[in-house]
Amino acid sequence: MSTVMSEQEKETQIPEGTQSSSSSSENQEASNVVIEVDDVNFAYVKGKDVLRNISMEVNRGEVTAFIGPSGCGKSTLLRCFNRMNDLIPTAAITNGEIRILGTDIYDPNVDVIELRKHVGMVFQKYNPFPKSIYENVAYGLRIQGVAKKSVLDDTVEESLRLAGLWEEVKDRLDASGLGLSGGQQQRLCIARTIAVKPKIILMDEPCSALDPISTTTVEELITQLKDDFTIVIVTHNMQQATRVSDRTAFFYLGNLIEMDETTKIFNNPSKKETEDYISGRFG
Amino acid sequence: MSDTNKQKSGGKKSKVAESFRKKGFQIFGLGAQDFIRFFFGGNASLAIIILILICVFLAREGIMFFPDHHKGLKSYRLAGQELVDYVGEEIDAHTSLYSAANVAYYAEVNRTSQEEDTILRAYRSVLANVENMTKKTWGRLEAWQEEKEDLEDELEDLLEDKEKLTEAAAAPAAAANDANADQAADTNESEDSAAKLAEVNKEIAAVEARMKELDAEIELLSEKLKKEVNVAIASDEAWDLGVGADQPPADSIDEIKEAVLFEAHPDADEEHAFIVEVKERSKEKKAKAAEELTGFKDTVKGIQAAVRPIRSYHSDLKKIAVENKREIEKFSTAPERRKALLEGAENTEDPEDKQEMLDRANAVDITEPEYDKINAPIYERVPEHEKLAADLKAETEKLYAALPEVSELETKSARESFGRAEVYNERFQNRVEENTEKVKEWRHDKNLSIFESATAFIFGKNWITNSSWHDFYGLLPLLSGSLLISIIALVVAVPFAVAAAVYVNQVAPYGEQNFVKPAIEFIEAIPSVVLGFFGILVFGETLRNVSQVEWLSWVPGFPMAERLTILNAGLLLAFMAIPTIFTLAEDALNNVPGALTENSLAMGASKLQTVFRVIVPTALSGIIAAVLLGFGRIVGETMVVLLVAGNKIKIPDFTEGLGVVAQPAHTMTGIIAQELGEVDEGSLHWRALFIVGMVLFCISLAVNFTAQKVLKKFQKI
Repeated sequence: MSTVMSEQEKETQIPEGTQSSSSSSENQEASNVVIEVDDVNFAYVKGKDVLRNISMEVNRGEVTAFIGPSGCGKSTLLRCFNRMNDLIPTAAITNGEIRILGTDIYDPNVDVIELRKHVGMVFQKYNPFPKSIYENVAYGLRIQGVAKKSVLDDTVEESLRLAGLWEEVKDRLDASGLGLSGGQQQRLCIARTIAVKPKIILMDEPCSALDPISTTTVEELITQLKDDFTIVIVTHNMQQATRVSDRTAFFYLGNLIEMDETTKIFNNPSKKETEDYISGRFG
Repeated sequence: MSDTNKQKSGGKKSKVAESFRKKGFQIFGLGAQDFIRFFFGGNASLAIIILILICVFLAREGIMFFPDHHKGLKSYRLAGQELVDYVGEEIDAHTSLYSAANVAYYAEVNRTSQEEDTILRAYRSVLANVENMTKKTWGRLEAWQEEKEDLEDELEDLLEDKEKLTEAAAAPAAAANDANADQAADTNESEDSAAKLAEVNKEIAAVEARMKELDAEIELLSEKLKKEVNVAIASDEAWDLGVGADQPPADSIDEIKEAVLFEAHPDADEEHAFIVEVKERSKEKKAKAAEELTGFKDTVKGIQAAVRPIRSYHSDLKKIAVENKREIEKFSTAPERRKALLEGAENTEDPEDKQEMLDRANAVDITEPEYDKINAPIYERVPEHEKLAADLKAETEKLYAALPEVSELETKSARESFGRAEVYNERFQNRVEENTEKVKEWRHDKNLSIFESATAFIFGKNWITNSSWHDFYGLLPLLSGSLLISIIALVVAVPFAVAAAVYVNQVAPYGEQNFVKPAIEFIEAIPSVVLGFFGILVFGETLRNVSQVEWLSWVPGFPMAERLTILNAGLLLAFMAIPTIFTLAEDALNNVPGALTENSLAMGASKLQTVFRVIVPTALSGIIAAVLLGFGRIVGETMVVLLVAGNKIKIPDFTEGLGVVAQPAHTMTGIIAQELGEVDEGSLHWRALFIVGMVLFCISLAVNFTAQKVLKKFQKI
């Protein structure tokens, strides 16, 4: 396992190196900020903003948790990061900018497909493709045109190991991905996402459909992945936020109320709404 | 649970507390809910009962086919007809070979006069076109001319009358001279005839005036016609020689024009000198070519002649077999005839009639014919066959070798015919070898198992009914037609329907979806008989015209001679199957969870990659099920194939490769629709149609069953 990890580190360091040289704003790199949200308003239907004047920064190599009651806009913001909201015809950012690795991702010249290769996503409901385990993991590479068997084999093994699934499935890579248990399927989806080596992984309530034991496994996995990827996780579960995240952002009614170190948010929040929420007075 | 409750409420009502007791309308403890349930349950089971009844009915009517068919085949063998047909097969194989060679010969002969024939053809089409374009004037002119002819007749009559009257007037005058004009009546009469004469004279004048008018009209019209013809011939329309026709050589065009101008004239009754000359030339050239090809011709004639001895042998045998068949038929119907007579006798009052009927009943010969004896004349002549067949084979082989080489042939159609002749020759040789053995080994009393008669149905190559020789019920001509048409329909419909479904479901914007989907589904609303009508009148004609276009001649089967073909039927059925496949495939695509699309897009896949790598593979079993259900619809379709497929009961000739689709065929559905109304209930033919129906039923059942299985697999995902 450790050798694989070191390999993985090498793999991730190379793109970072190339990226820093090609990046337009050097100071962003220096300050270690990966995602920068600048005064963003967002609306699904014109005139009805569901996010208002959000400004925040997400740091490299950290796990950032978004918490807040239902309908507060945390998932919406997450889906702005890889432009999944583009699938809804009328949805649009009405104000401000989101910069990932220094680039405004809503610039007309940005190729959304390239963006998504850098910003992977794990969904609430695990949804492996109705293909074999191997093909599920290899999917991301195949759509990028990689056909070399050795490269695919290596990547599949590496990703499954990183997702902690290798030992469980190595004998049945050709079996359907749908035959796995829920937790395994979610880890398969994570393996599938990390196989294309994104810089950022967005997780939209990744454990809400899992049982407690699987949840623990996935949480451990998230902590391990932190070394190689920047992770943004949306969760309903405040304990989970305390367990896995370094920083936490609290959203309420489309506004970012507070964002700080997780320990500070949960122990000593500066805003009253935050305190009310984490102490269970609403939400 | 509910049952026990019911029992309790029925039995010990008093013990149930008021608030727990069943409320509302109840009979025997059954509430309104139960009745509604029974009503719907009853409807569902009724459908199942009807389905079972249909199966039972089909089986009951059909299953007796096999014993009856077996009996028929047995008598076919006992009568020696089987042996005769062995010989007949050899002759048929030989005839195919001969006619292919003959077609090649005539193609070669006509080749030399191609130019002249083209000119003649062009002349005829242009003339027809010009006459058609000036139809109106022609019509009027003809009407005038008719009237003129009528007037001429009338004039003749009137002149005759006049003559008579003049004579009559002259005669009494002479008589009056003799009789000194003493009778007043005579004077009256002569006065009378004078008046008549005056009247006739007036009429004559009127007719003559009218005729003059007509002459002027006709002259005017003729002038007009001439002008019109001149205009018409200058137009392109007149020179439209039909799709695919050869253009006449450029230097002959002026002459054709002249000939047409000459011919398109009301007074023309002879052909123009040019045309006569061309005809003559064509004839001469043909004669010359025939002279050059005398060797070829003699060979072809020789092939034709070689078959004569065996042909007369065949017809001799056939006479014997027909006699035998009559004997056997007489025997097989004897008990029935006797029974009918006895019954008749019983019901008759008149003792004389009764006695006569009884006598006749007793006279009915119910002894079985001695098959050995009736077949003896056939056996007597069997040994001749070997020599005859060997002679025919040797002679044909020799003559076939004497035919010109393919490389010597100059026309394409002749070369094609030779290609066919080669296949036919091989078939003929094999057929003779095979059948010589068969004839030698043939025994009239050889046992015929029921299994053999079943295979004779399933793999039978002939479907011949109402024949004086023997009725054959072979499934293959119908099955091959049905399958060929279905395959063409599927090959065409599947790509269209599936692509349309993918497009509408995945690619098209919302507004377009709302337009395209109902439009495609609307096709299903077109009655198939209307579609068949369209297939005959519009589509078949267009297809044939298109097939004549020269640069399309590489397409197999083009140019097509027929309008009603397998291809035509297949394409129309494809059109009918598209909405079925489209709707079901679209449903299948719709059932793919949206989350899969989201996942794929989030991985950085493009829309098309998502569609082809995730969505279509996920929906694949649903799409396959859609295709299978479409196939079921195609196989079962009747009206269109009955109208459009050409209804020729023959296995399509597969020697033409893919061109086989340009042939007409018959189908299983078509034959049932066509023949069931005309056959006697309970006859072998009637039962055969039921069995065809059962085969169809089984095919549909199997296809639907497979489709359901595949669908189920799909729903699991």
